[in-house]
Amino acid sequence: MIARKLRVAVALAALVSLSACAGLKAVPAGPYASGGNQITVGRTWTDMGRLFDASKGVRLLSIDGPQLNRLFVIDGLKPGEFIMRPASKEKPTPTWKAGLSPTEQVEFLADTLAVMQYYRVETGGLRPVKVGDRSGVRFDITAQTVDGLDVSGIAQLVEAGDRLYVLLYLAPTEHYFSATKAEVEGIMASARVGA
Amino acid sequence: MRRQTTLRAAVSSVLAASIAVTAVSPAFAQRNDGQRTVGQRPDISTDEGGLWAQSDKAETEARTKAELNRDPDLTPYVRGVACKVAAEYCGDIRVYVMDRPYFNASMAPNGYMEVWSGLMLRARSESELAFVLGHEVSHFAHGHTLATWRTMKSRSNVGMVLMLAGGGIVGSLLYLGVMSTVFAFSREQEMEADRLAFERTVKAGYDPAAAAALWRALREETAASDFPKTRTSDTRGSIFNTHPITPDRIAALDGLAAGRTAPSEGERTRYRAQIRKFLPAWLADDMRRRDYGQTLHLIDRLAADGEDLGVLEFYKGEAYRRRRLDGDQDKALAAYTAASGHADAPVAVWRELGDMLSKVGKTAEARTAWETYLAKAADAEDRWLVEANLKKLNEGSES
Repeated sequence: MIARKLRVAVALAALVSLSACAGLKAVPAGPYASGGNQITVGRTWTDMGRLFDASKGVRLLSIDGPQLNRLFVIDGLKPGEFIMRPASKEKPTPTWKAGLSPTEQVEFLADTLAVMQYYRVETGGLRPVKVGDRSGVRFDITAQTVDGLDVSGIAQLVEAGDRLYVLLYLAPTEHYFSATKAEVEGIMASARVGA
Repeated sequence: MRRQTTLRAAVSSVLAASIAVTAVSPAFAQRNDGQRTVGQRPDISTDEGGLWAQSDKAETEARTKAELNRDPDLTPYVRGVACKVAAEYCGDIRVYVMDRPYFNASMAPNGYMEVWSGLMLRARSESELAFVLGHEVSHFAHGHTLATWRTMKSRSNVGMVLMLAGGGIVGSLLYLGVMSTVFAFSREQEMEADRLAFERTVKAGYDPAAAAALWRALREETAASDFPKTRTSDTRGSIFNTHPITPDRIAALDGLAAGRTAPSEGERTRYRAQIRKFLPAWLADDMRRRDYGQTLHLIDRLAADGEDLGVLEFYKGEAYRRRRLDGDQDKALAAYTAASGHADAPVAVWRELGDMLSKVGKTAEARTAWETYLAKAADAEDRWLVEANLKKLNEGSES
C-alpha cells in the first residue's frame, strides 16, 4: 500500500514539473501540420507532443522550451469536441459548437485557457483575418501563470465547414513574447486549413 | 473521487515524511479553556513546528500567486471582519483574499488565512462572512488541524516515505493537496466550530440568523446544480473533504439563534458596497465552473435585495446563453432585456441583445440594440463586427 502511495506521489510530482509528453521531434523550417491545420515555420522548432489532458489533435511546438514559448497547432475541432479533456462529467471543459459568433469563439478559447491553468485571462484587439479563402479572427491575449508570471499571446481561429482550427501562441511577456511575435504572426499568416 | 482520494493519500504520506523527523510534543500551548495561547509559536523540533514550517512556506508562495486579489481595500476589509470575530487572536492572523470561484476559507496552523472570492460572492451580508471566518478561527483556536494531523499520522506508515522527503518531492506538491489532508475535519470538530463561530459572531454584534441562512443557501445551491451527481452529493463549507453541512448542523445553529435579535437594517447594503466592484469579475469566474444551474441560483440570491440588477441580469443572460438547454435562448433574451432597463447594465448587454434578437428573427429590435451598443461603446474593439452585422441585416432587409 505504502509503495503504491510512493509511486503515486512520484508520478504526481513529475506531472507537476512536466508540461508536455515525451517524444520530442525537430520541426525543420518548412511546412508542418496537425491534421488539417497546416502552417509553415521559418526555422527549426521542436514538436513537444501534446499537453497532459489535451485532446489528440493538439500539438505543442516550442523554440526554447514550453515554459518560454508555446505554439499550439490544433486540428479542426468537430462540434462537441474540446481542446482540454474534462476531469469528470461534473467538471466539463469548453466544447466547440458550430456557428458560434466571433465573440463566442474568443470566449471559447479564453475559457479553455482558464482550464489550462492560466489566470486573469484577458483578450483584446479582435481583428478579421483571411486564411486562404476562409475568414477567421485573430486576437491578443494577456494572462498569468499560477505563480504570477505575466504571459502574452496571440490566437487565430478559423471555422471551416463545421470545424474550428486554432493556432495559439503564448510566451512570457518579458522578452520572449516580443522576441518571437513577428515570427509567430508570419506563421499564422501562412496557415491553411481543411482536410 | 478516487483520484482525489489517491491524491490525499499520496500527499499525506509525503507530508508525513517531512514532519516525521520531528518529535511529537504535547498538544499546542493551551490556556485553561482549551484554546491555544495567543501569539504562540511552536518549537521547530515538534510535530506542530513542522506543520507550521509547511504553512509558512505555503504562505510565502501565496504572496506571488496569480489568484491573489491585490485590491488595496478588499483585504484590509476582510481582515477587519476576521479581527472582529477572532478578537484576542487578531494579531495571529494574516488574511489573503484569493480570486477563486469556489466557496472556501481556510486557516493554516500558523495563522495564514485564505478567503476565496467564491465565499465572498455567496455571503449575503458581513454577518455571513464573519460566521465563516469565525468558523475557521475556531478550528485554529482549538487546534483542530493539529489534532486531525496527529490522528492521520498515527494511521500511516511513515518510515518508507522518509526517503522521499530527502528527494525533495515535498516542495513540488500542491499546497491545496496538502491542506485537503489536514483540513478533513470530523463531524464533532465541525459542529464545535459552528457553535464557537456562532458565539464569536454574536459577541461581535453580528446577525445570529446569518450562520444557518448561509449554510442553508449552500445546500440549496448544491440542489440547483446542472449535474445529477452533484445535486445528490454532500454540501461542504470548504473545498476540503470535511464533514458536510448536514440538516442537523443547520438545526443546531437555528436553535442557537432562536430568540436573539438581529442587528440594524442595512447590513446587506453595506456588505454589497464592499464587493460591488468585484461582481462582474467574480461572476465571470463562477461561470467558468460551467455549472450554470448553480450560478443562476447564486445570481437569484444576489438579486433578492434588488441591487445591482443591471449587472446581475446581464450575467443571468450570459449563463442561459452559454448553457444552451431547451428554452435557455428565450430566458437569455428576457434577462438581457431586463438588464438593459437598469442604469448599471454593462454595455455588452446591447451587443448580446442584438445577437440574440437577430437569432430569433427580430431584426428591427436587433438593429436598435446593435446601434445602441455602437453609440454607447464608441471605442469598442469589436465595433467592426457589430457594424458588419448591421450591414448584413440592412442588406437582408433591402433584398
